[in-house]
Amino acid sequence: MAEGEHSLRYIERDSIMHRLYPLTKLAWVFVVAIGLFLYREPVSGAVMLGVVLLVAVVVARVPLRDVLSSSQLIFGLGILLMIFHFFADPGEPVYRVGPLTITDGGLHEGPIFFFRLSVVVLASFVLIWTTDIRDLMVSLTQAGIPYRYAFAVFLALRFLPLVQREVDAVRAAHAIRGRASRSGLVHRFKLWQRYMFTVLINGLRKAEATATAIECRGFGAYPERTYVKTVEFKPASLILVLIFVLLQAGLIYAERAL
Amino acid sequence: MSSNTNHQASEVENDVLVDVQHVTYTHWNQTEPTLHDVSLQIRQGTLNVLVGPSGSGKSTLCDLFNGVIPHLYGGKLEGDIRVGGVNTREVEVKHLALKVGKVFQDPEIMFATLYVEDEIAFGPENLRFDVETIRQTVEELLELTDLKPYRHNLVWNLSGGQVQKLGLASVLAMRPQMIVLDEPTSNLDPAATRSVHDLVLSLRDEGITVLLVTRELDEFLAEADQLLVLADGRLLAAGPPRDVLREHGEYMLDSLGVWLPETSEIGIELRRAGLLQGDEMPITVEETLSVLSQLRIEIPEGASTHRVSSAPPAEVVISARDLHYTYPGGVEALKGISLDIRSDEWLMIVGRNGAGKSTLARLLVGLQKPRKGQLTLFGRDASRWKVQQLANNIALVFQNPEHQFLTDKVADEIGYSLLAQGVSDPAEIRRRTDEMLALLDLEAVADTHPFALSAGLKRRLGVATMLVGEPEVLLVDEPTYGQDREMTHTLMALMQNIRERGIAVVMITHDMRLVQEYAERVVVMSEGRILYDGSSAGLFEQEEVLAQANLRRTVLHDLVRAMREQGYPFPSDIRSTSDLVELLKIGHVTE
Repeated sequence: MAEGEHSLRYIERDSIMHRLYPLTKLAWVFVVAIGLFLYREPVSGAVMLGVVLLVAVVVARVPLRDVLSSSQLIFGLGILLMIFHFFADPGEPVYRVGPLTITDGGLHEGPIFFFRLSVVVLASFVLIWTTDIRDLMVSLTQAGIPYRYAFAVFLALRFLPLVQREVDAVRAAHAIRGRASRSGLVHRFKLWQRYMFTVLINGLRKAEATATAIECRGFGAYPERTYVKTVEFKPASLILVLIFVLLQAGLIYAERAL
Repeated sequence: MSSNTNHQASEVENDVLVDVQHVTYTHWNQTEPTLHDVSLQIRQGTLNVLVGPSGSGKSTLCDLFNGVIPHLYGGKLEGDIRVGGVNTREVEVKHLALKVGKVFQDPEIMFATLYVEDEIAFGPENLRFDVETIRQTVEELLELTDLKPYRHNLVWNLSGGQVQKLGLASVLAMRPQMIVLDEPTSNLDPAATRSVHDLVLSLRDEGITVLLVTRELDEFLAEADQLLVLADGRLLAAGPPRDVLREHGEYMLDSLGVWLPETSEIGIELRRAGLLQGDEMPITVEETLSVLSQLRIEIPEGASTHRVSSAPPAEVVISARDLHYTYPGGVEALKGISLDIRSDEWLMIVGRNGAGKSTLARLLVGLQKPRKGQLTLFGRDASRWKVQQLANNIALVFQNPEHQFLTDKVADEIGYSLLAQGVSDPAEIRRRTDEMLALLDLEAVADTHPFALSAGLKRRLGVATMLVGEPEVLLVDEPTYGQDREMTHTLMALMQNIRERGIAVVMITHDMRLVQEYAERVVVMSEGRILYDGSSAGLFEQEEVLAQANLRRTVLHDLVRAMREQGYPFPSDIRSTSDLVELLKIGHVTE
């Protein structure tokens, strides 16, 4: 099958970031996110973008090329969001573009939104690149989350490639059926409807079968289960979170003080 | 039950693992029972083979042993099922996992983790086995299933045969007393099928009880301890395979339409013709040979079962020269294919999963464009065709016909193809749709939703939607996959009919019996290249090609070859068991 190599997945590497306890990396993403919603100045967001990029390339050792190619889309969306804010936010008009006006408020808020989106997404990418989803799940159960719930997330991810394959097959099969309606729009709508129908029906059938199959394999037989591969909590991992809490506190302090 | 088993009744009592008594089961959404008063026993450490036509209740029967029925599927269950002395009604499914493990028809749906080795550990982890024990089990099973080199692979990056083996390993890891395999080999190439069968035999030898549901029976059947035959929800027969075939073979062949080993088909036909003495019932090639050697056979000179047509070769409609295709991810699927397809051909393409067969099909219908090399379709370069235009000349029936359905009614589905071709006159659409419904025997379901059809009817509707546009070439991807013998022959008769309407048929398949019986020309693909292009009889002589492409000769071919070596003047173009039986009937000399 034509499954392209997705750059957005866990890749085994020998890096400090890879060795950190998965849950602390999840906590790190939250810390980064909280910070970005507290900043009032675009410059803080810019600093964080630089720092998170540094974490990705230096600490996690992800090639810059991969970082950029995966983030393209999200940076693009971020820029659109920024431009939207240029025009939409209240404030004193600065430039006029036809009937639209760019406000000073917009010029200030736009970049803040750009950084919010791009940095939070980039941080979650770093989590994905450096964390085996299985380890994340195990660490969630270690934190006291019942394994049935932790596994639900895991199974959903496990299903994605199957759904992708199904979508590809349906698309190809539809393409050779030709179009029965002269109106392109009507045709597209009908096709799309059928797409959803076919993928959904087959998805539900598969999900039901999977639920039965894993029950037959003893899933949920006991409140706990054993793990052949466990992850060990290393207190040193907390340093990452600590550094970022301090860094963000510093930025926020600087914003308010200056 | 055969007399044979009754003799040892008292001894048998002790080692019965599964005891099914008078089970009648009705699905929650049906009114008629799927299983009627089924009683059977499975002994510890035996290999049991279950056969039956589509819809006879095989899968439902399989769901009884591990408690999925009634615990998960509900419905109305009468009678009792005891596994290892325990009534399945009284134990939950997740606890029955220690007794009975089931490998699902499509094991991919039972995978719960990302990596091969984790998958094997999943079951025992749930059952709280000791970590050291699990580690050891995983190692042993990786060894047993030849999956060791793939232990860190993602579970969806495995071949079809490996998926089945991983499914089996992940069930065996829970150390069940019995495993149930529901059609494990239906989509595997012949060599992978053989290796799954070998694995099953080695499990039995280790004392594990096996219940195998299958359509692909060959000499392997001789190794089974019990053959169970299910027909219309009732257990028709159960006993040693030879006894069952002797007593019920004719009925199984004529009325049930189940697949049997070719050797058994010959044996059953010979018995019917009164040519077998005593109670012989050959299953292996050697047994059949020894049976035949007792007959005095004189084959008339020049006897041939097939006429060779001497018509001049028809026009070439598809021509490929040094065709290459590489997927965006870098997978090189085609590495230099050169092939001509003529307008009157019946061509079969075979090869292991991943050999490039489906990629070639996608190029031929324009879904993908060649990257390198030349591909001429109906006199025009492939790059200049649009998919939808091309669809008027060459039609592809997908492996899963559901993917192609676009409307809510069978009749509309056929009509859609005509609308897409620009036919706008409602009367004409009506007429041609009705014609197609009649041709494919779909009239009774004209108003049914395509998704609600049975698997065989879906397949036929898939063909109908493609045929109605009157293409020059019909391309079918594994049309007989998962079909019983009767449906397979119906579909093949249909293909023959299509041929007679002047349409070339190109079929992708794994089924060597079909290749032998129907193909005029067979193309073998392996790793993106064509290894062989010629007659099926010629292919069976090419040991190297067969080995490289994971193919196997048919049992029938082996048999005919062995007989020729023993001096029987058989023609080499015997294509089916009925051909051979006809010859034997003609050639048999009565004293």
